[in-house]
Amino acid sequence: MFRPIASIAATTVGEAIRRKVLLIILLIGVLFLVVAPGLGMLSARSETTVLRGMMLGIIQLTSAVIAIVLTVYMIPNEIERRTIYTILSKPVQRWQFLVGKYFGAVSALLMMMTLMTSVLVFTFWLQQRDASAIPDLIKAPVMYFVQMSLLAAVAIFFSTFVSPLVNFFLSGGLYLLGSLFAPFFQTLQESQGTPPAAKVFAQLINTILPNFANYNIQNPIINPGQQIQNEGSYYLQVTVYGVLYIAGLLVAGTIVFDRREV
Amino acid sequence: MRPLAAAIETKQLTKTYKSRIHGKINVVDSLDLHVEEGEIFGFLGPNGAGKTTTIKMLLSIIYPDAGEGYVLGKEIGDMSVHRLISYVPERPYYYEHMTGLELLKFYASLFGINDQALFVRLLEKVNLHRDMSKTISQYSKGMQQRVGLAQALLNDPKLMFLDEPTGGLDPIAHREIRDLILSFREEGRTVFISSHELSEVELICDRVAIINKGVIARQGKLTDLLRGGRVEVTFEGVTEQWLKDKGMRDSHVRTIAGGVLLDTTEEEDINALIDAARSNAGRIVSIVPRRKRLEDLFIQTVTDAPAAAAKKTITVEESTSV
Repeated sequence: MFRPIASIAATTVGEAIRRKVLLIILLIGVLFLVVAPGLGMLSARSETTVLRGMMLGIIQLTSAVIAIVLTVYMIPNEIERRTIYTILSKPVQRWQFLVGKYFGAVSALLMMMTLMTSVLVFTFWLQQRDASAIPDLIKAPVMYFVQMSLLAAVAIFFSTFVSPLVNFFLSGGLYLLGSLFAPFFQTLQESQGTPPAAKVFAQLINTILPNFANYNIQNPIINPGQQIQNEGSYYLQVTVYGVLYIAGLLVAGTIVFDRREV
Repeated sequence: MRPLAAAIETKQLTKTYKSRIHGKINVVDSLDLHVEEGEIFGFLGPNGAGKTTTIKMLLSIIYPDAGEGYVLGKEIGDMSVHRLISYVPERPYYYEHMTGLELLKFYASLFGINDQALFVRLLEKVNLHRDMSKTISQYSKGMQQRVGLAQALLNDPKLMFLDEPTGGLDPIAHREIRDLILSFREEGRTVFISSHELSEVELICDRVAIINKGVIARQGKLTDLLRGGRVEVTFEGVTEQWLKDKGMRDSHVRTIAGGVLLDTTEEEDINALIDAARSNAGRIVSIVPRRKRLEDLFIQTVTDAPAAAAKKTITVEESTSV
């Protein structure tokens, strides 16, 4: 049951790491990470604060662009090139194909994010000569990886029924909404003064909308004065949330894809 | 599951698409198809006739709207049959970063097969063993088609679906692919070929079906379908008018150097005419049978039969003898 998934995932990684557009995005990200210390010096604020914020921002933005570009074309390309027909004529179920493509995308994403994190750590160490801050710094890319895995699942889900261009804007839009507005709806839901109807609406949005903001943990890392309460428990909780949401999206994607005429 | 009577059998298989302009379109309409085990079956039709749609339905890649279909005795949609069949799509694309050997490994892994000796043997069979380390991007069209056939043999299939297997290939590649397909029949496999290459089909297929506008217009043994061509008889000692007066249907008479030429489809009546000519001091110079070609049959079927008439399936029974 899992062998076809592993084979499809491995092939997807092989293809992804050869896609020029992804390599160019990755190269730009790495380049910005390398020059970030130079840009940090120009800021009036504390050099370390700016450097941390800038570097983590670069990783997050580059990873999000890679995650979307990597996944929106994944299923449509297989259909257009007819590679899917040869695969589905073998004893491979559609869900195995979809899950294999997803894990392939996430593995490629992991490789690219690992490279960027390594550059981040090396550049930071060269600049600051302070190894003690590095473990804290790495927490953010780890959480970003969960965030990007969730974003990839959103894009894979949409790719089972919309065109790549529409998917690009849908997934990108949902990522922005989930990153920027999820905390707002959460506050609205929990606030005492919110009218009941607005509370229900906020709760509905909070349930449907993937909460990408859960993984934006850069503030306590950039500003050592801030802290996440029960840090370990929080990380575990948001990771479980991400995994469950991803599983839900893959199940929904399989249901749609199973009925789709390819 | 039904008793294994045929490699493929469909009854009233129908696929409908909705178009904003044309409304409901029956891409495949009440298809009755019968493919025997161990034969090479040609599935012919013009572009858009419904050939690929039919194959996709048989492979459970798309779903029929009505009717039933059986592949190797199992209802279409039964995934267990996928271990016994294989498919090479039209103008296939394979992952270009892989080598020929890696490609076979990948497709084999989908069956849970990991047999290096098998991969090499199959690459030898399709004459790619010297190029197994080259990437697919370095392969010519013919080589890609051959590696496609190699991947289609990984599971030792009983039934192979080949969609336009010689499309866009040069004559040498044509011949290589044709020889491979013939070898598949010798190995006892059933081969279902969808093709435009009528001369190829005529050379290798045992039976064919011609589909037009989603409807099977003809189906049967190639020898039966192509029976009843024209016969050219050259007479001496009889006049053109004498032959015309005999009133043979569907015949043309003209005077040529060295006699009078009668061109007719009426094979049955020709002996009586020859006897009459002989008893009238005539002499037969030559009798030349002109066999019907598949191309003629195809064009006649596709152009002569309008869609409405084509709905009536004309099946040449296997039992019809020559």
